Amino acid sequence: MSISAETAKEHAKDPAVLCCRAEEGITIQASNLEDPAIFDDLVDSGLLDLTGALTIEQVLGAKLTKTCDSLCPLTSDVVEGITAPTEKKDGKQQNVAYADGTDPILRTGSVQKDWTSVQGGVLKIHIGEGKDIDIELPVTAATPAESSVQTVPAACGAVQTPSADKIQDPEAETEEKTVRSLTRKHYRIKEVKRGPETKIDKDVLYIREGIEAECVASQELVHDLKIDIITPEEYHTYSETIMDVQPVACKEGDCELGTGVTRVLDGVVMMVTGTDDNGVQIGEFGSSEGYLDENIMWNRPGAPDKGEIFIKTQVTIEAGMNMERPGPLAAHAATDYITQEIREALKALEDDSLVADIEEFHQVRRPGKKKIVIVKEIMGQGAMHDNLILPVEPVGVLGAKPNVDLGNVPVCVSPLEVLDGCIHALTCIGPASKEMSRHYWREPLVLEALYDKEIDLCGVIFVGSPQINAEKFYVSKRVGMMVEMMDVDGAFITTEGFGNNHIDFASHHEQIGMRGIPVVGLSFCAVQGALVVGNKYMTNMVDNNKSESGIENEVLACNTLCTEDALRALVMLKNAMAGEEVKKPEKKWNPNVKSSNVELISNVTGKPVELVKNEQSLPMSKKRKEKYD
Amino acid sequence: MENLQFLLKQHVGVPCRPVVEEGEMVEKGTLIAVPEGLGANLFSSVYGTVKEVREDRIIVCPDKMQKEEYVQLSEGTPLEMVKEAGIVGMGGAGFPTGIKLDVNLQGGTILVNVAECEPGLCHNIRQIEEQTDMTIEGARICKEITKASKVIFAIKAKNRHAVEKLRAVLQKEADMYIHLLPDIYPMGEERAVVRECLGKLLDPVQLPTAADAVVINVETVLRVAEAVKLRKPCFSKNITVIGKLKGGEEPHVYMDVPVGTSVEDMIERSGGIDGVYGEIIMGGPFTGRAVNLEEPVTKTTGGIIVTIDFPDLHGAPVGLLVCACGGSEERMRDICNKMHGTVVSVAKCKQAAEMQNKALKCENPGNCPGQAAKCLQFKKDGAQYIIIGNCSDCSNTVMGSAPKMKLKVFHQTDHVMRTIHHPLYRRLRVSKQEEQLPGGK
Repeated sequence: MSISAETAKEHAKDPAVLCCRAEEGITIQASNLEDPAIFDDLVDSGLLDLTGALTIEQVLGAKLTKTCDSLCPLTSDVVEGITAPTEKKDGKQQNVAYADGTDPILRTGSVQKDWTSVQGGVLKIHIGEGKDIDIELPVTAATPAESSVQTVPAACGAVQTPSADKIQDPEAETEEKTVRSLTRKHYRIKEVKRGPETKIDKDVLYIREGIEAECVASQELVHDLKIDIITPEEYHTYSETIMDVQPVACKEGDCELGTGVTRVLDGVVMMVTGTDDNGVQIGEFGSSEGYLDENIMWNRPGAPDKGEIFIKTQVTIEAGMNMERPGPLAAHAATDYITQEIREALKALEDDSLVADIEEFHQVRRPGKKKIVIVKEIMGQGAMHDNLILPVEPVGVLGAKPNVDLGNVPVCVSPLEVLDGCIHALTCIGPASKEMSRHYWREPLVLEALYDKEIDLCGVIFVGSPQINAEKFYVSKRVGMMVEMMDVDGAFITTEGFGNNHIDFASHHEQIGMRGIPVVGLSFCAVQGALVVGNKYMTNMVDNNKSESGIENEVLACNTLCTEDALRALVMLKNAMAGEEVKKPEKKWNPNVKSSNVELISNVTGKPVELVKNEQSLPMSKKRKEKYD
Repeated sequence: MENLQFLLKQHVGVPCRPVVEEGEMVEKGTLIAVPEGLGANLFSSVYGTVKEVREDRIIVCPDKMQKEEYVQLSEGTPLEMVKEAGIVGMGGAGFPTGIKLDVNLQGGTILVNVAECEPGLCHNIRQIEEQTDMTIEGARICKEITKASKVIFAIKAKNRHAVEKLRAVLQKEADMYIHLLPDIYPMGEERAVVRECLGKLLDPVQLPTAADAVVINVETVLRVAEAVKLRKPCFSKNITVIGKLKGGEEPHVYMDVPVGTSVEDMIERSGGIDGVYGEIIMGGPFTGRAVNLEEPVTKTTGGIIVTIDFPDLHGAPVGLLVCACGGSEERMRDICNKMHGTVVSVAKCKQAAEMQNKALKCENPGNCPGQAAKCLQFKKDGAQYIIIGNCSDCSNTVMGSAPKMKLKVFHQTDHVMRTIHHPLYRRLRVSKQEEQLPGGK
């Protein structure tokens, strides 16, 4: 359909095609041109061949020399007085480069968004579980594809101002400031046994026999709890759905979470699994029950590493409570009863010779560099979607506030608090795309951003994703205000899961983007998680998908944020802050976009980006075979 | 002669209130209903007896003997007489003319709409050819009432005979001109006339007065002259009857048909329906609606069309492209039903703006905004056929994409066009530019 002058400007570089018959001698205007948003479909239908077509900016104001019919691409033989293409963007890039005094990274190539998206005003969602369901929703906001050109100049303006100030104080640029530090002492565990008391004896962890009864007694809603010690030889064991994977760690002495010393056991993780009395999995959309070795994506930040021992609890909660908030919470709390006893044992260790490794984390501020904030959207819809924020012990329960009870409002934390287990995650639907507690302990984006010397990571904001739309916008507006006050140059927004949470994910983009701050979003999208809403600020997206078919494959942590995603996002944000345009997404999800971006990054940085494996590296489960692959 | 039915609502506004009772004798020109708010007086078009006063109509049994004389309007200013005469827009809109002309154009323009845009209708052109002087007299009166400085007759160039006739008479009229229109639908749309003649595109919500103009149908102009010069109330209508009629598909043009006459009467006068037919349309092929034989002629009835039978789609999936130029969605669905199609997708032309009264108006009549996206929608929704009601330009655009997508295209006027041997609305082969007469004369 014919386009407005504004749309024509946004699509200045797109091919010019007549929307309707136009007569010889007319001066070509936007209203004569077809909307480039539908070109893909037209080309697919064989209706359009764009070979040799001039761009919209070239034909506007030019004269048509021959009467042409609708859907006729305008080529130089029917247009007279073509306007020369303008190179407006280059000048801006130069400005940014100089004003900043640093070389914007990767100016050689634009990074392309790799997500499936909104096209031609219709969003396609495909749910391929069991039977095919296709849903199409009209999209009210501008599609991301349409808005990229427009957003960039606005972003440039925002970037330039602080940069220009900073250049007058060159010393400020170099001075790094360590705000706080965190030390992780690693204790190596090679064997987990049951014994008369919970204790750590060199590299053997003993768990007190009979502790199960106390766990059950501690929680009214917990009717049974079993402990299984799963060694690598026993990975091919059936398990109920994995509700969480947690590091076993404690603070040393009076240290507070996020600072001081943390002790952690290596080679062992806590694993919460469970059902209700009727054997119903504590999950909603999908669940990861099955043989452990077929349903865990090893070595994801949130998953167990291959070779680790699992202290796996199988908790049975009251029938029907699997979908009520107190149910899953009780399962977690009952499990934490064991973890807490291990923490006490770990705290009591006095023999420093048991420390196998020491890791130092420094929260470094880099004044003068581009100031960045990471906004992490966490689930807060209730039922099993909740997160305990800031417990006393790493990934503990005690002292933490459920973010649902906090109203899901944004909470600021330091990067080190994130890495020290400030989130105890109660999220177990869509296992492939949800962040387990362990994910935060090894959060790749926080780690990469913290150690990137070209940027200044000021902090992390956690914001819950409420169930009701009105509440989503309520919390989202607070995010916008909070980020505005931080005076940042760029922001990341990450989310977990897909669908409902994408509504606030989109709104966060809008709230931050409308303040002239470049934003890069990270989410699982691909095929099944294609965004349900969009707005003009959602131009820079990184897809966390790793699965072969772009789906929620119910393999634990398969599609969560990994280092490769963090690296792409960092480059994309740097590009966005430098005023580089991120290319439009392709019409359909195309895994090659990610590959070529990764290649681009490797080429420029000279460091190869190693890609993690996906579910294809696991033994094929019956469920996966039947449902997905 | 059968009973006549006078609908109490033949105009834009609220229905009239009857002022006669059952059994009352009426004459030709007797006031039988008066407006209750926005509306226009209603007069009997025959001598006879009021047989029944219903909620929505007055039924009059006509006398066997009918005289030419009628009850004359009382004297007054021209505007008062127009109001008194109950004249409404006879092009089909039915807006009370007395209200339309009650405006000071301060040297603006009277645009006489002679486009007769609906294919198949001929009575407007016939009027120009046969009643040139009275028509010009009416235009002059309109110009004086509105204090306009000039009159422009907007007429399609293809009507050569009528144009020549008009030209000859207008040579001696100082402030009257001709604007030639291309043969494209919908050049007769009010705002299209303004745009073509005055070069100003109005918003759908704007009235022509925003361009210092009044657009008035050519037959309405004639009725104005009759009211002022002959003191004649508005009770008759010029009509074209055409279609699948015994004796052929040539148009039958009737001048001064008494309002209230039934469709059946008119069809019988024209030879009667020739065998199996599709539907009877009152109005034009684009904007008319299907009616039954009992339906009476009103002040806004332009055409009565008997069509050939519809093609049978045997339940095939159909997409409807609704726009302001053609029928409403209801009418499009009616046609689809008659073709035994199943509606699977409905799209509205981008330019069709919905007015407060739910009616659609085109934002730029006759200039297509592109339709490829709509065709993509139909294809996606699984349509095999599409029915469009679009103007010449938009139909052309649809033809640019739909057939290549393997969508078979029907135009809502197809059955009429096939009946009257008029080219179907598909590709546009004529220019939108029309060369004008020197000095508009």
